[in-house]
Amino acid sequence: METRAIETYIRSTFAEYAGLTEEELFSNGVTLAEAVNRSPRMTNSIDLMETFARTSNAVRKDYGVRVRLPALPLDTPMSGVLATFLAEYDREAGTAAPSARPSVAEMAV
Amino acid sequence: MTTLAAEPTAALAATGPTAAAPDSAGTDHPPVVLAELHDALTRRGMSLVEITWEQQRLHEARRWSVVEMLDGIDVARLTPLERAMVWNAGRAELTTKPGADRLERQADAECGRWQRSNPTVAAIMQACGTWSRYWNEEEAHHETAFNRLAALTGMEAIPDETFLEFRQVFPDDGMLRTLVLLAISEITAAVNYGQCRAAATDPGLRALFAQVAADEIQHRNYFLSFAKALVDSGEYQAKDAFAVAHLFLREDGELGGSARERVESRDTHVNWWDRLDTADSAAAFQPEASGRKEQLVCGALQKITGLTVRTAAEVEDTWMDLVGA
Repeated sequence: METRAIETYIRSTFAEYAGLTEEELFSNGVTLAEAVNRSPRMTNSIDLMETFARTSNAVRKDYGVRVRLPALPLDTPMSGVLATFLAEYDREAGTAAPSARPSVAEMAV
Repeated sequence: MTTLAAEPTAALAATGPTAAAPDSAGTDHPPVVLAELHDALTRRGMSLVEITWEQQRLHEARRWSVVEMLDGIDVARLTPLERAMVWNAGRAELTTKPGADRLERQADAECGRWQRSNPTVAAIMQACGTWSRYWNEEEAHHETAFNRLAALTGMEAIPDETFLEFRQVFPDDGMLRTLVLLAISEITAAVNYGQCRAAATDPGLRALFAQVAADEIQHRNYFLSFAKALVDSGEYQAKDAFAVAHLFLREDGELGGSARERVESRDTHVNWWDRLDTADSAAAFQPEASGRKEQLVCGALQKITGLTVRTAAEVEDTWMDLVGA
């Protein structure tokens, strides 16, 4: 099966932010918990959340699509995470609209 | 020696009038939580001795007796719902001592780490670690009050194995994240106890729940004060405060507690909100409670970071913006 460009992008971006190779992340059914344990840049669920957020922001910047990931159990395999990421991407890509939300600077009081 | 010329008036709980010129004992104004701690340590030049005095005065002003509080409860007439609420509260409160012990240790370590590079941050850490002794003592009141009452009403005893399990220590994280998590934990507890008070009919039990809820709000105010001071120092980033809030407010997040479809299994520590047994006390908790918690968490973020958010979705959006790519 052909690997989509967005899938390659998500895999490499997430790996970069996690400080791991794609092989270390996406082979042999590695779970989220194992990814956190292996990563030199993550120590807990909040770090993991942030890595997903940065990956999502990168997708938004380069592909113009905002992906929101649901809370996933730590025993979810990375392949499942990737599938969820892609499904959310496809869903958002079909309905994505420009955001009218104010910037963080505008919200400061 | 720096005199206590500053006005410790800006309590986060909006308590206490503006202080006039303080007397030498610092007792001419009601004791308050210093909402602008970084400013107090820098521009106003308050010393740690002065800040500790304010903590001591507030602690003394809020002390109450568990023995006297329990004497005011008609134990024999408590309903099954009231007994279930008390039993749950007692178990939940077991997790606070390891939290306070850990905070004291982590604050002390962080104080040492910052002492040379940023003495103001070191002082904030020391103020936090010093206050943790009061927090620990006040939480001891909550734990023993509820567990004693549960025992008196013949509720299922808490085995030592459970006691030890609930005493496990939460793993360390960054100090700002830790303080925000503790603030949200206090918010969650305060709202829950408010709901318990409303559902209780025994006047003595209502008073106990009201007292504990008020204590938890005071603790929240301290956590917000320390967290804001760290952000004000410029050494800690607002994104970490938002990350913890998002962890709680997101769909299927921590705020859902034990009612979530799936609760993460851990062998490292117990999050009390994951272990509430609501089978017999569900009637106490009304749907508006989660909205109130969300509102209070958003308010906490505003106080800590200066950024205004009103909903869980806005928390997520702001956090995503702050994280960057």
